[in-house]
This record gives sequence, structure tokens and C-alpha cells, in this order.
Amino acid sequence: MTSTLIRKTETPPPAKPSVRSRPHRGRGIGQRTVTPWLYVLPALILVVGVIYVGIGYTGWVSTQDWNGIDPAGTPVGFANFIAAVNDPVLWQSLGHVFIFGVLTIFIQMALGLFMAILLSGEAVWGRPAYKVIMFLPVVLAPAAVATAFRGMLAPDGQFNDLLHTFGSQGATPWLADPNLALYALAAINIWQWTGFSFLLYQAAISQIDQNLFEAAAIDGAGAMKVVRYILLPQLKGTHATLALVGCIGALKTFDIVYLTTGGGPGRSTEFLTTYIYKQVIEQYHAGYSAALSLILLAIALVFTTIQIRAYRFGED
Amino acid sequence: MFTRPTMPTRVVAQIVASLLALPFLLPLIAIVAKSFDGEGFIKNYQAVITQTPLLQSTLNSAIISAGVIGLVYVCTMLAAYAFGKMNFTGKTLVFNSILVGLVLPTIALVVPLFLIVQQLGLFNNYFAVIVPLAATVIPFTLLLTRNYLAAIPDEVLEAARLDGCSSFGTLVRIVLPLAKPITAVIIVWAFLQAWNEFFLPLLFLQDQSMQTVTTIPLYFTSTYGSDQPKIFAALVLICLPIVIAYLCLQKFFEKGLSAGAVK
Repeated sequence: MTSTLIRKTETPPPAKPSVRSRPHRGRGIGQRTVTPWLYVLPALILVVGVIYVGIGYTGWVSTQDWNGIDPAGTPVGFANFIAAVNDPVLWQSLGHVFIFGVLTIFIQMALGLFMAILLSGEAVWGRPAYKVIMFLPVVLAPAAVATAFRGMLAPDGQFNDLLHTFGSQGATPWLADPNLALYALAAINIWQWTGFSFLLYQAAISQIDQNLFEAAAIDGAGAMKVVRYILLPQLKGTHATLALVGCIGALKTFDIVYLTTGGGPGRSTEFLTTYIYKQVIEQYHAGYSAALSLILLAIALVFTTIQIRAYRFGED
Repeated sequence: MFTRPTMPTRVVAQIVASLLALPFLLPLIAIVAKSFDGEGFIKNYQAVITQTPLLQSTLNSAIISAGVIGLVYVCTMLAAYAFGKMNFTGKTLVFNSILVGLVLPTIALVVPLFLIVQQLGLFNNYFAVIVPLAATVIPFTLLLTRNYLAAIPDEVLEAARLDGCSSFGTLVRIVLPLAKPITAVIIVWAFLQAWNEFFLPLLFLQDQSMQTVTTIPLYFTSTYGSDQPKIFAALVLICLPIVIAYLCLQKFFEKGLSAGAVK
């Protein structure tokens, strides 16, 4: 260490030392070109091997009429995609995902934000307890949550019991009524995931410069004005993140649907995910299911691209 | 809320916060309360523990979680080190192509996963769940860790190199100790994903002795039918490890879940 230092001072000072040393330092570790790749390789093999090979394989299977059991299917070109576009169930399930997504994203964001604002100062006593209550559902397994709510929302479940104490006499089958089931699923999702919005808003609010609020208070701005003109604009990034995560989450939703309604009654709560699952596992339509999978993937990528662009726009 | 609150504000805020929290608290209470119903607390829990594969499924979930955590940790650290601290051609392209995995719904891979597992004869094998699960967790942990490692000053690594450390030696002796906080976040995140995963075990671990804590409710609903208290006792036991882990490691759970969103 010492000798290097001495040698460095002994050499005549180069005209622009920073320019000279920068490319060298950039290659400081991993000087051989192959070294970085050796470090990246395990992750790359795993991700490429599962995700990219998976997508490629799905692409190939989507051009086949295949039950997934026979050694090979019959090539049918784009027939599976044409069938999908003409399949009313695909459009129905996309409609369900849309309603479910809009409801859950907006309500979760609104409730989470409101709660985060309430708990942001020192007004409420026992804030850690509220935080745990809000956040605990987030870490529970969706499969366990779904099973619990299936029991609680049954005609003789605890939710109807609770309504009885308010004078209702009904025995509403919340998850078995085609007009209610989708909203019941949204409610379960909201119960489980509002804590996530709450957590993100809380973290973001704690990073806002406290002086902004004090300055506004001195200027005589009321709480509503502070929220509207200071808080909400400062939370743009969090709104964007939650909207994106919510969209992807709605597209991914499977556990709570499969374990409560199974997509029924009828097709009234069919999601794209449950439809894909049923097509390949229960109906042996591997080719058709693969085509639906690619449609799901395309929608997820389009949403992400649009929202990342919007997010960057919002940052300016 | 933003400045020093007055007494009436405090009271109103407390009431509103409580009213808002109530719908989130009541189902939690209802789940625990229901598990005490019927034959009573002791008999319900005793039946669930002794007469069902619940313990086996807990063990299965623990094995899968350990496998996923190990695989994710090793792959993430190695790759994040290269992406954060080395320069090589194609770095950005490779990194971004791994990040695509962030938005991928696992179900979109159901056809190839099912067919590959079928061809390799990996049904009822832990690896059929561990490997795809790790592959879907890595994009997120890699993103977090790359950013964290990139913030370590180059001078620290340079010093290690001048002292004769190989690149791997620098990783093990310098980088990993400095990366302890992010390691905790990775482990907690991988555990949460692995423990709560439902879809992959549903597909590939159908043998009763291979079921995980997330697929075991199916067993309970078919076995106990309308004996709701026992189903709820099982649900409480299924959730218990993750609730305990959360309460003990609250900070890391919250960091892990918000890390990707808050820069």
C-alpha cells in the first residue's frame, strides 16, 4: 500500500490525471473480459432458461393445435389467435380484469393515502398498532386469505352474521351471486393490499421536506389546501408506481379467484389467468392456452411501457 | 397532521383512523375467533396438527423457501456485483432483458413449465417449484442489489485490489459485509414470495405428501367440508410463521416491499 502511494507521487504528474485513470479504474475489477460474464452467468442462465425459453416455447406451442399429451401437435399458424379474438370468454375475462383493476387500484390508493396522511403527524395515538393492522394482510398468503374469505362471505358466514347485528336478515351468498362475486373479489383484494399503498405513501410522505408544510401553515393554508397543492403533487412518483404495480397485479391475480369462485358462477368472475389455467390443465388445449398466455404477456408489457413513459413525463 | 395538532383535531383523527382500520382488523379477529369455535380451541388445533399433513406441508414450504432463498441470494449477489461494479459490453442490454421478468405473470409460462416438468419427470420434485420461482424473484432482487452495490465507493474496491484481492476475494471479503442490510431485504423478500406461492405448487406438487402450506387449504376444504372451525385453525397455523417473521423483522419486510418503489 505504502509503496504504491510513493510510486504514484514519484511519477511526473500527468496533465489530466482523472482522464487517464478513469478508463483504467472502470476496469478495476474483472480485468479480463470474461470475468464479468462469469458472475452474471448463474442469474442469466436461470432467467433466460426459465423466462425466455418459456416465452419462446409458448410462442411455438401457440401455433400448434395440441393437447399437450401427444408427442406432437398439428401446426395451425395463427388459428389459435384468431380463435382467441373471436372467443367471447376472452373479452369477458378482460372486462372482469378491467373492472377489478380499476376498483382495486383506486380504492386501495385512496384508502392507503388517506390513512398515511392521518398517521403522518403526531395527531393519532398508537400509530405503530394501526400500521401493523393495515400491513399484516399484505404478508399473508393470498391462498390462506382467499380460503378464509370464502368461509366468511358464505351465506352462513361471519360477514352475514355481522350484518344481522345491524338488523339485516339476509343470507347473501356474496361469492356465489353472479352480480356480486366480482365485487366481493375486489373487496378481498382491497382488504389484502391497501396496506401496501399505505406503506408506500407513508414512506414517501416521510421524505417530503417538513419546511414545505410549515411554510404553507404560515401562509395560512388549511389542511385541505396543503394536501391538494403540496402533498399530492409531491407524491406523483408514488401514484405512478402504485398504478403500475396495481395494473400488473390485476393481470396476475389468480390465487384469490381460483380459491374462492374458481371463475364462476358461470363465467361471471373468469379472469384471463384462470381461463389460461383451465384451458391447459382441465381442457388440454395447450396451443390455445399458449396463445392466451402471449396475449396476457403482451398486455402486461404494453401497460408497463405506457406507464413508464407517463412516469418519466410526470417526473419533469 | 402536518403541523402541531390541536386537541379537537387529535380526537377527530383518532376516531377516523380507528373507523378506517376497523374493516382491516375485523377479518383478522374473525379468522382467529372462528378457529376457537365448534369443538373448541384445543380439539380444533389438535385435530389439525395430528390428523392432517399440515406439519409435512410446513416442512415442504420451509424446504422450498430455503432453496429459493439460497439460489436467489447466490445468483443475485454475483450478478449484482458485476452489473454494479464492472464494465463490459452489452451490460445494459443484458440487465434490461433480465428486468423484463419484473412484469411477467408466472401463469403466462404455464404451458412450457408444465410440459418441461412433464418431460423431465419432475412432478412432485421440489426443484420443479424452486427453479421457476427463483427465476421470477431474481429480477427484483437484482434491481435492488445492483443499485445498492453501485453506491459502494470505487475506492474501497480499488484498495482491496491493490492489496492483492482477486475480484472474487473482494466480493466475499469487502462487498458482502458491506451489503448486509440489502441481504436482509433479499432474504425476507425471497422468503415471502416462496412461502406464499400458490400456483407452482398447485401445478407440480400434487402428491399429498408434497403439498405446501398454500395448497393445503384445498385438502382441508375437501376433508373437513363444512367443519369451518378446523379449516380456520389450519389457516391460523399456516399464517403463523409469516406473521411471527413479520413482527420480528418488520423493518426489513417494509423495506423489501417498498424498496422497489421508493428510490
